[in-house]
Amino acid sequence: MSETPPSAPTTFKVQLTLSGREIECRADQFVLFAAKDAGLRLPCSCTRGMCGTCKSKLISGTVDMTPDGGIRQREIDQGWILVCCSKPTSDLVIER
Amino acid sequence: MTAHPSIPDLIARRKPGHNLQADFYTRPDIFEADMAAIFWRHWIYVGVEPDVPEAGDVFVVDIGRASVLIVRDDDEEIRAFHNVCRHRGSRLVNEQKAVVGNIVCRYHAWTYGLDGALLFADHMGEDFDKSCRGLKPVHLRSVAGLLFVCLADDPPTDIDAMAAAMTPYLAPHDLPNTKIAKSVEVIEHGNWKMTMENNRECYHCGGNHPELNVPLFAYGFGFSPKTLDEAEAAQARRYENLVTDAHARWEAAGAPSREINHLSDRVTAFRTERLPIDQAGESQTLDTRVACKKLLGRIKDPAMGGLSFWTQPNSWHHFMSDHIVTFSVIPVAAEATLLRTRWLVHKDAVEGVDYDLDNLTRVWEATNRQDAELVEVAQTGLRSPAYEPGPYSPYTEGMVNDITGWYLDRLAANLDPVDA
Ligand code: FES
Ligand code: FES
Ligand SMILES: [Fe+2]
Repeated sequence: MSETPPSAPTTFKVQLTLSGREIECRADQFVLFAAKDAGLRLPCSCTRGMCGTCKSKLISGTVDMTPDGGIRQREIDQGWILVCCSKPTSDLVIER
Repeated sequence: MTAHPSIPDLIARRKPGHNLQADFYTRPDIFEADMAAIFWRHWIYVGVEPDVPEAGDVFVVDIGRASVLIVRDDDEEIRAFHNVCRHRGSRLVNEQKAVVGNIVCRYHAWTYGLDGALLFADHMGEDFDKSCRGLKPVHLRSVAGLLFVCLADDPPTDIDAMAAAMTPYLAPHDLPNTKIAKSVEVIEHGNWKMTMENNRECYHCGGNHPELNVPLFAYGFGFSPKTLDEAEAAQARRYENLVTDAHARWEAAGAPSREINHLSDRVTAFRTERLPIDQAGESQTLDTRVACKKLLGRIKDPAMGGLSFWTQPNSWHHFMSDHIVTFSVIPVAAEATLLRTRWLVHKDAVEGVDYDLDNLTRVWEATNRQDAELVEVAQTGLRSPAYEPGPYSPYTEGMVNDITGWYLDRLAANLDPVDA
């Protein structure tokens, strides 16, 4: 996750409202790990989209999410994401 | 401490045809025995398919200390599991209703699929075998959309006979394609048997249920023929003819209606009959007309009467052309009982357009209130040292006799050696 890609990576701003922090997240990086790199330990467990522990409300922005049973389509429709398996495709505001 | 009579002694000393001794309604040890021998070893009615309408829906029902998860999986299959984590035993779902992806224990995030399989458990080491740590299954049967669970390893097999007999009666109302318009929980201040016995007679209806008496024919629930005056006798004859005619009409329309009674000769005991409704004859409402414009299933005739279905030990149901009212009784303590009532309408019915919720629920909301009071005064009276079991009416309390008889038989058959 930490090696630098050859071309300049696209980076997005992620605002975490409950932590009161704004971090940077590369387009090829899961939000959970970007937060970890920035010293923020968000609730998580399986880190692969199964358990739902990292479920968070996406206030604004879009992500590319690859869950594995940890979230329902209905929840996604209501704006929930799993930050352990979501990569940003825009700047994000997340309630976390 | 004064020595209480043992349960087998009490069973042996019970006078046939009489109310049970007070011990059965008040003693905490008998409550525990009731849970273990009756509620954990028989088929218990807990809810309806529309309690979990979509994949990922979870519904929790507690039966004493046992908590049961009822879930609908992505294959639309409804399954039941013990609501207990296989790690260190934490309760998994703490709300009565939830939507989940997988079932996750909040304690250390062990993660189970909706088929019960353990999918993920962190930090358990290389040798940890997930395959033998799935959720413990609970037997579940849907009888035309009514959900029954059994906590025993070997549940009574005659649920098959009940399902076979009842499915043709219930199917025309198409319960799986209804929705819960309202669900209410009432704690009655009495033993669960008090709640059930009160349901099993309408001896008390005349004096206590002004709302229910509008749609209900009192003659449908027994009477003493000798003491009727001439006008009453004529009414009773009129009612009998009405039943015969109505049964013929409904059965011709594809809705089985005739009585089936296995309340006292089966382990999974039940009774059913489709009964006429007074006046307009349509529904258990204050004007006896349908409360919901969208009729259930393929029913065309709003005047289908009310199909009543009673099960031992803990439920009763009324299926009408436009709605279903269904009641589940769960003991909470020796002198407290949970009554959960659900009103179901066609899943496409819209509140305020097709039905008015007050009108739909008024009769049974009022009746439940009155019954809860009756249960409480009966329970209170029975605590007195002056109480002694009184006789049942041979005409109006046959079903009370059935449930107390069934209860004593089943209790005796399932007592732990310690109690016996
Ligand atoms: S940490 Fe398990 S789903 Fe994200
Ligand atoms: S008790 Fe459930 S994960 Fe530990
Ligand atoms: Fe009543």
